[in-house]
Amino acid sequence: MSYFVLLPILFPILSGIFLLVRKEMKNRQSLLITVGAALVITTVLAITAMLTVRDEIFLVFNLTRTLPVLFKIDGVGVIFGIVGIIVFVCAGSFGFEYMKHEEHEKRYYGFYLIVFGILMALCFAGNLVTFYLFFELLTLSSMPLVLHTGSKEAVMAGLKYLFYSLCGAYMVLFGFYFINRYANTLSFSEGSVLNPELAAGHASLLLGAAFVMIMGFSVKAGMFPMHAWLTAAHPAAPAPASAVLSAVIVKAGVLGIIRVVYYLFGASFLQGTWVQSVWMTLALITVFMGSLLAYREPVLKKRLAYSTVSQISYILFGLAVMDPDALTGGMLHVICHSLVKAVLFLCAGAIIYKTGKTRADELRGIGKEMPVLLWCYTVASLGLVGIPPTGGFVSKWYLAAGALSSGIPGFFWIGPAVLLISALLTAGYLLPITISGFFPGEDFDYGGLKKREPGVLMTLPIALLTALSVLAGLFPNVLTDFIARLAADIL
Amino acid sequence: MDFIQNFPFFSIMLSMFSGTVCSVLPRRAARWVNTLMISLIGVLSFVLLSYLVVRGESYVYMMGHFPAPWGNEIRAGILEAGTALFFCVIMLLSMLGGRKKLQEEVVESKHNMYYILVNLLLSSLLALVYTNDLFTAYVFVEINTIAACGLIMIRQNGRTIEAAVRYMIMSLLGSGLLLLGICMLYDLTGHLLMSNIQAAVQGILEDGTYEVPLLVTITLMSVGLAIKSALFPFHAWLPDAYGYSTVSSAAILSSLVSKGYIFLLIKIIYRVIGYNVFGNSHIIDVLFVFGLMGMIFGSLNAIQENDIRRMIAFSSVAQIGYIYMGIGMGTGVGMTASVFHILSHAATKSLLFIAAIGLTDVSGGSRHFIDLTGAAYRNKWAGVAFTVGSLSMVGVPMFSGFISKLLFAQAAVQNHVKMLPALIVLAISTILNAIYFMKTVIRIYTPEEGSEYESVTFKNMKTYAVTLVCFILLNVLLGVSSQPIVDLIEQGLSMFA
Amino acid sequence: MGSNLLINYGEAVAMLLFVIGFTNLLLQKNLIKKIIGLNIMDSAVYLFLAEKGYIEGRTVPIVVNGVQDVEAYINPIPSGLVLTGIVVSVSVTALMLSLTIRLYRRYNTLDLDEISTRLKKEGL
Repeated sequence: MSYFVLLPILFPILSGIFLLVRKEMKNRQSLLITVGAALVITTVLAITAMLTVRDEIFLVFNLTRTLPVLFKIDGVGVIFGIVGIIVFVCAGSFGFEYMKHEEHEKRYYGFYLIVFGILMALCFAGNLVTFYLFFELLTLSSMPLVLHTGSKEAVMAGLKYLFYSLCGAYMVLFGFYFINRYANTLSFSEGSVLNPELAAGHASLLLGAAFVMIMGFSVKAGMFPMHAWLTAAHPAAPAPASAVLSAVIVKAGVLGIIRVVYYLFGASFLQGTWVQSVWMTLALITVFMGSLLAYREPVLKKRLAYSTVSQISYILFGLAVMDPDALTGGMLHVICHSLVKAVLFLCAGAIIYKTGKTRADELRGIGKEMPVLLWCYTVASLGLVGIPPTGGFVSKWYLAAGALSSGIPGFFWIGPAVLLISALLTAGYLLPITISGFFPGEDFDYGGLKKREPGVLMTLPIALLTALSVLAGLFPNVLTDFIARLAADIL
Repeated sequence: MDFIQNFPFFSIMLSMFSGTVCSVLPRRAARWVNTLMISLIGVLSFVLLSYLVVRGESYVYMMGHFPAPWGNEIRAGILEAGTALFFCVIMLLSMLGGRKKLQEEVVESKHNMYYILVNLLLSSLLALVYTNDLFTAYVFVEINTIAACGLIMIRQNGRTIEAAVRYMIMSLLGSGLLLLGICMLYDLTGHLLMSNIQAAVQGILEDGTYEVPLLVTITLMSVGLAIKSALFPFHAWLPDAYGYSTVSSAAILSSLVSKGYIFLLIKIIYRVIGYNVFGNSHIIDVLFVFGLMGMIFGSLNAIQENDIRRMIAFSSVAQIGYIYMGIGMGTGVGMTASVFHILSHAATKSLLFIAAIGLTDVSGGSRHFIDLTGAAYRNKWAGVAFTVGSLSMVGVPMFSGFISKLLFAQAAVQNHVKMLPALIVLAISTILNAIYFMKTVIRIYTPEEGSEYESVTFKNMKTYAVTLVCFILLNVLLGVSSQPIVDLIEQGLSMFA
Repeated sequence: MGSNLLINYGEAVAMLLFVIGFTNLLLQKNLIKKIIGLNIMDSAVYLFLAEKGYIEGRTVPIVVNGVQDVEAYINPIPSGLVLTGIVVSVSVTALMLSLTIRLYRRYNTLDLDEISTRLKKEGL
């Protein structure tokens, strides 16, 4: 039975490869049906696997004697997995309409499915080797999505993405060599896997290794000072791919950090060390800087990318505090941010698709043209700012409460303060679009407006994601109970 | 004595005789004889390998009627048989992959010559691998050099002749030093057979009499072989020789010839000098440092290169640096890593050369990056193969390169002094590798609208495509099920000692 | 040290010759001079071997007059090695010379560096 875990991984990868190698399909319809079916089947398989083989270890093969490739579905994996599935399915069906105006659709969907499968593998990876393997593959397979348009800008962005990610991956590998030597096992388990006898006397070396690994994964999560690729690569991709990259792929870095900190080194090993202080400082700098840069950025998709930089570091800050509440807040923000950021990117995509406008200041009166879309955008924005009753409010509440109660000197008040300022900035860069969209002002020429609401294939996924993000805020207990239990287990 | 024990001798002789036969056969027949003979020797080596694994210990085979310490001997252990098998596989695949190109690039009357040279090269490599006698090793080193030189200049233009001359000069410097080292060692110990020399070296050390001459000898032999295997900074000849010769030659030279010398060096370290003696001399640190420098400078040179063939050639410099770094680590794990990297690099580098030729062919024969835009769409098989090779070089898991890097790192963390430099240089060099290989991969996959070059299909290049698939499989095999191979290497090394 | 050098003057000369040959092979620009350097280097090694194998007051190891005593003859192996080595060096020299002729016919010069610069100009 435990081989069930392989199905949601292999199925999308194989169907993606199948799409890539087969000849160009005659009509678009059959391509879309294939992709849609693959997405749905993968969803079903993944959920079946999550329900039936939770916490069962499945050994695929041994890479070397001490390094097995194995899968295990645990709580964190389920959270990231479900978020991934929701975003992938929604962005995928959004793309059915959107990708009409892009070329090479078959290639796009081929890689889209492969990335999906690899993401599932990443969520279900049972040890560091497996995680690292799929982490590298994730970078490589998501590259074509960034490169998709083939423009010079996209190629440069892709190269930037590749080199930053590879640098990050090698930093991880660097730490991996050390932990491999001083640990009993590399399987993820709550608490520490370090062998106390071997590790005795090497604490500073291991702290260095932990720091390098955290920094390595944070490249993928876009933490300062390694964030420059994110704001180049995410906007360069087609909108549904941007949504996936910004909402889910960056979370792979977050997942990596969770695995390293809470499942390998153990929180108690890092609490109160220089690693924690430096990490928190960098995260807070990123939170502030990301918001500020987003505030100044005129191009909508780039603005959203900067916003991702800032918001992911909310999560990283929550992880760095190493307090149950803050951890809960961080994980909750993983969910909320994914849903919200997917909505925002898809909205930006829909606007580009219908009007071709990319700059925020061109969007005056857009609310009169596509009201449903802008309503979704507004609700999602409120969620990102953190206004009740959206999910963002709950997660930020937990983050701030955790930081305050952690009692880490200095950070316990600086942290919440920075988060608050950044939330204000978030409101400052997201909401003007709503305001000028619905209320273009006296001098606006209403005559040029026409109904341009996008089709149902585009609106429905956006509306669905928006609804989910609100539901997460209305009934947070379902999530918080689950996550708080998880947080208590691993801390 | 079992009949199988004759196999090393048979392999060397078969290869030599088939070379002689090739000279009188018609061209097509010569090609078949060549292919069959390499496969046959591969099969023999495989049988020998399984025999040795079952037997669990190495054996010494007396050549002629004179027993040690006068006669000449062959020695076969797991490592020798395994290396021979691997060399045959790589050579066979390289020949198949470059076959079509050979017909285009080399004048028809020289084809027989080419097969003779290849057979000669194989036999000298096998002799280097199997021999237990230092002077025999020297003789075959020279034969190897001559054959390799022939392989470089078989495609005649100014570049290849110049490259061949440069190669010869460097090689002759190296073999001069090696010869002097061997003579001095003979002078010190009075023996030429490896096992006898080792016993005598132990005696010298116990007496504490000739320590300085011994050190000089070790230096001479190490430096000589390092020059011959193109360790940085002795690599000046390499890019031209690999870059302009016909593709089979480039693949064979980069993956086998330099590896043969390294194998001989490892053999000398273990079987002649003794591993501890070598480890206690400072030569090992020198090799380590030059290895590290090679890893960085080779990659830096490759980044600046605009010519895909020369870029791959420079990458060889970096990879040879890896191997010497492993040897210089001074631990058994480091040596295992080096031997594994010999295999892994051989499999990957020949794949890259063969794949690159497919890409340049569909770009009007130009090797410039600009012209390679979109080449992977015009020749899909070569594109995929080049990508696989690049990923392996960069060290993505599932491919052989990752396992090498892992082994090197495992060796590094066990040596407290060399740990940090090794790991840092490993990381830097990997990133540099990534820069130039991924740059190329993106370049060949950047679609080019309205390209004037035609694309090729599977029908036009069956042999070529099958070869590439075999290479890819070999790479994945080394990357996925490395443990049995690493175990074999460890057993083989322990048989050495 | 110095006295050792005097006693083993043959070996010392061989080493000197080796260094001369080596530097010539490495540094000379002219290809023919390089080849001469190669030959000096190889001969130096043979001189070294021969010197090592020779024992004062003994004779060639060919059994004549039925004298089978080991003490009567010199060590034959170094002589054998020298013979083998000469064969190798002759073939290598021949190869080098033929390559040199090729290059000379093409470029009318024996200077390797000049050939390189010319090749770069040709853009090959």
